[in-house]
Amino acid sequence: MTLSERMLKIDRRIIFLMIGLCTLLPLLYPVGLPIKISSEVRGVYDHIESMPEGSVFLLSIDFDPASKPELYPQAIALLRHAFKKNLRVITMTLWVSGTGMADQLVTQVAKETGKENGTDYTFLGWSPGGQAVIINMGQDLYSAYPSDYRGKSTKELPILEGVRSLKDVGYMVSLGAGRPGVEEWYVFGKDKYKFEMGGGCTGVMAPGLYPLLRSGQINGLIGGLRGAAEYENLIGQKGKAVAGMDAQSATHLAIIALVIMCNLFYFSLRQQRDG
Amino acid sequence: MDAIVLGAWVATGLTLLIFSFLYKDNPLFKLAEHLYVGVSVGYVIVKTYDTVIVHLVVKPIVENGEIALLIPVAIGMLMLTRYVPKAAWMSRYAFAFIVGMGAGLAIPRTVSSFILKQVEDTIRPLLSMAGSDGVTFSMNLLNPASHLNAIIILIGVSSVLFYFFFSIEHSGVGKAVARTGILFLMISFGAGFGYTVMARMSLLIGRLTDLIEFSDASYGRPTVWLSLLTVGALFLLARRGREQPPDIH
Repeated sequence: MTLSERMLKIDRRIIFLMIGLCTLLPLLYPVGLPIKISSEVRGVYDHIESMPEGSVFLLSIDFDPASKPELYPQAIALLRHAFKKNLRVITMTLWVSGTGMADQLVTQVAKETGKENGTDYTFLGWSPGGQAVIINMGQDLYSAYPSDYRGKSTKELPILEGVRSLKDVGYMVSLGAGRPGVEEWYVFGKDKYKFEMGGGCTGVMAPGLYPLLRSGQINGLIGGLRGAAEYENLIGQKGKAVAGMDAQSATHLAIIALVIMCNLFYFSLRQQRDG
Repeated sequence: MDAIVLGAWVATGLTLLIFSFLYKDNPLFKLAEHLYVGVSVGYVIVKTYDTVIVHLVVKPIVENGEIALLIPVAIGMLMLTRYVPKAAWMSRYAFAFIVGMGAGLAIPRTVSSFILKQVEDTIRPLLSMAGSDGVTFSMNLLNPASHLNAIIILIGVSSVLFYFFFSIEHSGVGKAVARTGILFLMISFGAGFGYTVMARMSLLIGRLTDLIEFSDASYGRPTVWLSLLTVGALFLLARRGREQPPDIH
């Protein structure tokens, strides 16, 4: 058996081990590779930065724990930025399986920044219907969410003073891991009720959302853990996303090397057979 | 035991059981997989019951007298008639309502957002007249709105659409256009695959970050102890597998 044949039949567990080590070692011994800020992430940051104090910022946490490693750091960075700018933060979720996680996330960042529930922020929880909830919120927010997650009547919340529907929202970001998510918020929300909108998504979804970004349908996009790391850098609070970037780069390099080697061995084997 | 510490042990244990699949399929992985499915479904059922039945149906009807809510409740109940063969036809009214309403809501908005807006963005001027500069052409590949990118998008969209046009044979010039379409499709698949790799690696980074965090003494080092336990269990299972050869029928 030639070297090429042996390498092409290598036990896949050796590859798993290599990828595991390439991920683990940079996490244990970080190098601190530079992170360049992309224009799509800057789009979201700049818009929040330009909002005057007291503006309404709606964050829809449309993911569940399965996408936590990618979207949780994005949500933390966005909330820290919004709280730092003293915006009125309304949070919610369209994913029933993400309700508990979203509540924990919002409460954790609010506690860390000293914000008060009902006055500085609110978590509305989950309401059934997906796209119908968005349309309902566009017509009457209080009908879509008669009470917040803690059971308080939304009509009595000081943070929602002057907010009757999605038309009163200054900026909206959907952090989506699928459907309903960014696309639904654009189609049934922004396109109909005309508010400014940005998006955050998992890496898998990002290529599908770039057409919306290019056409100006959304004004910014935070894609995957990389996008979260860029946002953490922009707000100057480095967290789990920045810490994971060295590992991400190392595994990408390992995968590129494996793809090149696999092709070389494949062509070499073909040449041997033809010759 | 503190809830956070207990959570760390459970999370570490389940992560390691799932990771054991990388060695080979085994009962430990199956246990974690079934637990995941069971807990997820249980959580969704409880949350849905509490939010929909308790807070959006029962409380408004009983406490506020919102009798109109009985109409959607009745439509919803019709769905359950599918379990009674003689009355199953009644569920069609509920489905008809849902399909009709869903299509009515989605079709106009989807056409507006994804077809008209995207077509509008694809058809961009290939040159522009800017004040005293006369005709200008921007070559910046990094600027999505540049004229060069407008031409690339025009070529990409046209060639890919032609590739999926099967009414004429792809030969001669047609073959060249279809090949160009394939090239654009390959670039798109490559970008998609690259992002997928990035996403999957992010998930691995997330789990490993937690495993590193839980190797701390403040949690009782669950990563260390449970790793040893998992490896030991896999070793025992492998030995038992060797002693009992599988039935071949």
